[in-house]
Amino acid sequence: MEPDEILDAIRAVLVERLKFDPARAAGIDPDTLLPKGLDESLGLDSLDFIELAMGIEERCGITIDEDEDLALHFKSAGALVDFVVSRQAQA
Amino acid sequence: MTEPSLASSALASLSRLEPGAGRAPRWYAHGYNRAELYRLAAATSWLSRPLRLRLARAVGRAARRLFPAEQAVVRSTLEVTTGAAGARLDALVAGVFRDFATCFSDLVTTNRQPPARLAAHVSDARGTEQLGALEGGMISLTAHVGNWEMAGRLLALRAARPTHVVVAEEEVRNLERWVRRDGDGVRFVPRTAPTVSLRLIAALRRGEVVAVQGDRALGTRGDTLVPFFGRPAPFPRGPFVLARALGVPLVPAFCMLGSDDRYVVTMPEPLTVAAGGEEDALRRWVGLLEDIVRRHPTQWFNFFDVWNPARG
Repeated sequence: MEPDEILDAIRAVLVERLKFDPARAAGIDPDTLLPKGLDESLGLDSLDFIELAMGIEERCGITIDEDEDLALHFKSAGALVDFVVSRQAQA
Repeated sequence: MTEPSLASSALASLSRLEPGAGRAPRWYAHGYNRAELYRLAAATSWLSRPLRLRLARAVGRAARRLFPAEQAVVRSTLEVTTGAAGARLDALVAGVFRDFATCFSDLVTTNRQPPARLAAHVSDARGTEQLGALEGGMISLTAHVGNWEMAGRLLALRAARPTHVVVAEEEVRNLERWVRRDGDGVRFVPRTAPTVSLRLIAALRRGEVVAVQGDRALGTRGDTLVPFFGRPAPFPRGPFVLARALGVPLVPAFCMLGSDDRYVVTMPEPLTVAAGGEEDALRRWVGLLEDIVRRHPTQWFNFFDVWNPARG
């Protein structure tokens, strides 16, 4: 998948699984921060990250099973795109 | 100050409670959670276990008078869970402080032994044989009853795979040394960031074990009201969301102190969570919890009003 397609997949997951307003999801760009607690982030909490991870696995064909801290890879939409690209390259 | 409980490593459930997001009320806090008390309890480790437990019980009897608020909460909880009154209720209240002191003493001493030696303190293990049949990841679900931490350590030993224990954020950092110790296949995962669930997902994907406590609501959107002894009480839904998403079983585990000062480990049938079935599974879990509390009312170590936690 190309980075733009992955970003679209993230937007789709936010709408379908996290019930985001489609217009809000459409405005998400690579700089958009994801976790709750960061200024101007989407405010995702731990339950949201479960759904986001499952949705990304499903749509992008990757498996999240790293024995490392994944927080940085899910800090922003762009970081998540990069993570998915790297995982797909390893596959 | 967090409740020590067998507690300061209180396994918490996944929730919206994250740093920087405004702190949820810590209604389970109380004055027991002091490093000095942990240090004092650990200092008795040189005593033989029978002598140490006798001392702990004496301390428990004396200590309850120092904590009138906790004593009042325990009394009202026992009224609901047992229907007792009068002298029997008085005895049950004393029993909670006695059993808490006993299990607390074991927490900071006996539990610190290598896992292989813990088995000597277990008189019976019911349902643990099913662990061998469970392949892949699983979520160990327990509560603040009995010696839950020993249950987790024994499960890690029997499951023979790494166990990730989700713990509440500590307010008093110097308590950690008394209640947490990575190693022996057990890793503690502080619930300090909303992305903690990613670490748990990855662990379950690798076929490892995630251990959580399922009896303390956190005042977040992850709480769901479920009847508990006939009254609605909030319980965390997070573990059930995780189990449904990953398709892994929830394995309830309890470790209760027997009259011979040895523990009985019980692992009821694993719970599975169908799509959209989180609340149903949560209700089944609360039913199991209610049953264990009914049978061991003095080993239910929650010193707040579990039906109206925010009020506490």
